[in-house]
Formats: sequence, structure tokens, C-alpha cells
Amino acid sequence: MNSSIIEILTPRYELAWYPWAVQYFFLIAISYSALLLSLPGTIGRGQLAQRWQPMARLALLIALSCTLVAPVALLADLHQPMRFWHFYANATPTSWMSIGSILLPLYLFSVLGYVWLAWRPALQQARRGQGFRAGIARILSAGDWQVSKPLLTASAILASFFAIGIMLYTGAEIAIIKARPLWHTHWLPVMFVTTGMVAAAGLVLVLNRFMSLQRDGRKEINRQGLKVIVVAMLTSSVVAAAWLFSGLSGHSESVAAALESVQANSDWRLSAIWALAAGIILFVFAALALKSRHQTTPLVQWTWLIGLLALHVGWAFRWMVLMEVQTVAKNTAGYYQLVVELGSYGLMGIIGTFGLWLAVLLLIDLFIPWQGQVQPPQRQSIAAEAQHG
Amino acid sequence: MDFARRAILGQIAKLTAGAALVPLASLSFSSSAQASPINSQPARREGDASKRYGMLIDLRQCIGCQACTVSCHIENEAPMGSFRTIVSQYEVSNESTGDIATMVLPRLCNHCENPPCVPVCPVQATFQRKDGIVVVDNEACVGCAYCVQACPYDARFINKETQTADKCTFCAHRLEANLLPACVESCVGGARIIGDMRDPNSQISRMLAEYRSELMVLKPEQGTLPQVYYLGMDERFLSRPQAEPALWDVRDIDGKEIGYEFLDH
Repeated sequence: MNSSIIEILTPRYELAWYPWAVQYFFLIAISYSALLLSLPGTIGRGQLAQRWQPMARLALLIALSCTLVAPVALLADLHQPMRFWHFYANATPTSWMSIGSILLPLYLFSVLGYVWLAWRPALQQARRGQGFRAGIARILSAGDWQVSKPLLTASAILASFFAIGIMLYTGAEIAIIKARPLWHTHWLPVMFVTTGMVAAAGLVLVLNRFMSLQRDGRKEINRQGLKVIVVAMLTSSVVAAAWLFSGLSGHSESVAAALESVQANSDWRLSAIWALAAGIILFVFAALALKSRHQTTPLVQWTWLIGLLALHVGWAFRWMVLMEVQTVAKNTAGYYQLVVELGSYGLMGIIGTFGLWLAVLLLIDLFIPWQGQVQPPQRQSIAAEAQHG
Repeated sequence: MDFARRAILGQIAKLTAGAALVPLASLSFSSSAQASPINSQPARREGDASKRYGMLIDLRQCIGCQACTVSCHIENEAPMGSFRTIVSQYEVSNESTGDIATMVLPRLCNHCENPPCVPVCPVQATFQRKDGIVVVDNEACVGCAYCVQACPYDARFINKETQTADKCTFCAHRLEANLLPACVESCVGGARIIGDMRDPNSQISRMLAEYRSELMVLKPEQGTLPQVYYLGMDERFLSRPQAEPALWDVRDIDGKEIGYEFLDH
């Protein structure tokens, strides 16, 4: 007996997580990825450290600015933001979100400490100068002592340790939700990390175009950024393939749920095609730009557009995962409508987060000599210290 | 595939309904264990441990009049457009004969034996009482909506007035005053039966024993062990039904919403 069913009456459920959540997941992923990108230049030795130091400057700037803004977006996604202290008054070891609420400030302060130590050599130098910036540097450097390499290394390891905690909790928090089969897969946390790396490298390329002073280092940063994008995109595609395979072999309902949504909903279809196209275009262009051995000036000038596309891929993945998945009805037929309203729960929230990030970035740029040396000066290299304005 | 899936789901549903009933007493003891790995059930608190409330919905008696929806709305003052309980309605037509039937399905919180919404709460604002009722302390709730995501039954929502999580409480405040929940009280067909499943003489216990092999629960494959049992249930509606979706709103030619009354309330 074949029958067809029409749903006559059911309430409309609103999406419970706002675009703020996307902003948090996006910024925090860029933050921990940029932190990792800064490591070879700050705690590496010899050739490696020298080659990656220009990248480390940008990566530290990105890590700090995103780490400062991400928790604001997270707070805004609470419907009762003023009650955030309940997280600490009623810590709950069974909840990934509670574990995250304890990890997040630890991560934030460890990043602050690490970046501060990495910037100390430059702050030391700036405090000898005149004017407002020197005054700020005198306050921020807190004394005349020199940072030792082991101390910087220890702070980097501590920050990386908490960064891994953030990767784990942001992924697990979503992936344990059995009620949403699309989220309930081990591959999602991995994908968050790999696409986070894509976005962080993309932001490096963009800032390299607009904020790097050292003209010579630019080409090298671009090459490193493009390499990271290519490798991270390849890894992402392997992860996506593994996810698909786990579904086709019957080990995960996630894939079946995704395919069902793509079949049934035109928004999903469009998003899937868009995501696939953006990913392929990004990979091809990044690989092509990397392959052109003689990087001509125009190409260096335009690499930042590939960076923008990488940022888009990282952001759009989180939009798909966090917002589009919420439109899949759990109990009833069909899909809820994803309406991005103008107000602070919608478009203004998205723009506002980016605006806040830009403001933080500019404030750092204005007051802190982030373009200086990021490793404690060694005796023979003091003479070669980078100049900065 | 659909047919096979349905058949399997139906079997699971019946098995789970049975399984959920048998180890009831042992389950509540094990859930109060102190060791709590991530995402495991925290200890239950408050409520009378000698009781375990559950509901049996006799779909053969339900006429889809929505009296429960309305009385719950009035009793619990949910904001316009949000519901703690509702009766989903479906039109089922036999494609070969053209016969049409109506399926009505009252939905509410299942007060699961293994509620996935409870361990995720980062501030312990939502918890399960010793009598099995899952409640929210809306003075403690931070409105993170994690529980809303974790519930497979869409039984939770963010209350727009309190900006905290809201859900069916089996009208715990009425039960404590020896009154029936508003939905049960107002049900014209007597389709909703609530009671203490630990009392072997309660109506629900007697009906659970009598109809054990016919009872089904929603989404049994989720492992939540729901404690709202359906009698006269059709397997096609256990999970998200393969149906043409309802119209939530009516749009004019420019795509502007014209028919959704409660949109901005």
C-alpha cells in the first residue's frame, strides 16, 4: 500500500543559535590556527626560525586580535549574557560547553602571555624612542628585563596546549549532539581544524597585502600562506572523503542526512554547489599561484584575493554547519526558514563582530610595534634588528 | 528502503518501550552514581524518588481538537507562537484507492529516562527530578540553547519573554497540588493518561501492562528511553515523517509574509 502524507499543522520553531555562534567558531578557529602558524618563527631555531619570522609577526597579530574578539561573539549568542558568571558558579563536568567555558579564559590569557613575551624585544626597543608609542611601550614592557628563549618557548607550549583544548571542545560540543545527525560525526571536529587553518592562512595573505611593511618578506609570506592553504585544503578534502565513506559504508547517519537535505531543499543544493565550487577554485588558484616560480609583482599584489576566498571558505563552512543544519526540522517534515534579520541577532551581529575585530586590529597596529623582532635578540643579530616605524 | 526502515524502527520502538519499562527501578539508581564522565547523566535532584511519572497517549481516543495545546498555553503562559505541547496533524492518503485519513499526534516532552538535554546544560539549570520529570530552573539558565539543540523531539524552545529555555514540566506544579496537568485535564477523549509508573495500581501502570506489546515511543533509535508511550501509533510517524511540509506562513507575490499572525509577538 502506497500512501502519501501531508503535514497539516505544526508550529514553526525558530533557530536557537544565532549567527553570533558562527562568528565565534570562525574567530576562535582562526585564532588557534594562527597561533600554530606563529610557532616556527617564534620558538623555532636557525634557518627555520629565520624563514618563518615574517609570517610569525602577522600570525601573532591575527591570533591576538581574534582571541580578544571571539569571546565577545560567544557571549552575545547567550540569550542571557549577563548571567555568564553562572558558568563559573555552576561548573558542570558533564557538559562540553562548561568545559569550554573554563578552557576559553585560560586560552585567552595564555595567548596574551605568549604574544606579550614574543613582542617584548620590539617593545624594549620602542621604549627607547620618543612620543606616545614609546610611552605605551614603556608601560607594556613592564621593566627592562629580557625575555629568555626558554620562557618564550614555555609560554608558546602552554598556549598551544590550551589551543588543542579549544579545538577539542569546540568540535566535541557540536559532534556529540545525536539529535542532529548531520553534526553527529567524528569528522566534524577535524574539519573545523583544517578549515580553520585555511581561513587563518587566508587572513595572513590579506593582512600581508595591507599591513606588512617589509617588502622583501612579503613574497615569502605569500608562499608560506599559499602552501598552508593548499595543504589544509588537501587535508580537508581527505577528511570530507572519509566522512562520505563512513556514511556510505553505513557507519554514520550524518552523510545520509546531508544527502537527504541536498535532495529535498533547494537552499541546501545551492549551498552544496557553492561550497564545492569555492573549495575547488580556492585549491586551484592557490596551487597555481604557488607554482608560478617567478612571482611577479602583480601576482604578489593579487594573492590577497586568494586569501579572501580562503576566509570565505572557512566562514561558509561554519555557516553551513551551524546555521543551515538548524533549518532541518527534527520532528516534522520540511525545513525551517533561515532568515537573517537586520538587527543585532542577524546582519548587524555579523558586521559588528568583524567591525570590532578591525578596531582591535587597528588599535594594536597603532600602539604596539608588532612588526618588530619576535625572538629574543641573539648577540650576533642585534645589529640586524628589523627597523620599524 | 523506506519500508524496511519503518519496519525496523517499529520493532525497535516496541522493544524499547518494553525495555524502558522493565529496568525502571535499577536505572534510577545507576543514574545517581557519582562518577560523571563527559555527557553522562548527572545525579537527579528534587522530587519524590518513590514516584516515576510517565504518560500514555491513547491515539485511538485523540480527535486532534487542540484543547491540550490551548489549555497548556494558558496554564503555562508560553509566548505566542511557542508551545510546550501541540497536536501535529497529518493527512494520509492511500494512493491506490484515494482514501484519506487524518493522523493526529500529540507531542510534548518525553521526560526521557536518558534525557540528552540534561548533561549538555553547562550550568545545571536543567535537571531531572527524582520522579523523572525534566525541568528548567529559569533563574539559573543562561539561555545558551544547547539543550534546545540536544533534544531530538524539538520539545524545548527559548522563551522570548524570559530569554531562557522552556519546556513541558508535566505541570509539576499541578501534580504537587494533586491536580492533573492542564493537557490531561482538558483532553475531551481522555487520550492522555498520566500517573506514577511505580504504583502498580495506577491507571498508567495497568495500561502499560495490558498494552505492553502495542506501545511505541518516538525516535527509539536515539536511545533516549522516552517515557511518553503511544498506543495506536503508526510506525511512519515515529521519526521525522516523510511528508509534504506544512505551510508555516503565506507569502504574497513579492515573497512578503502575509499570513503568520504571531510573527513579531
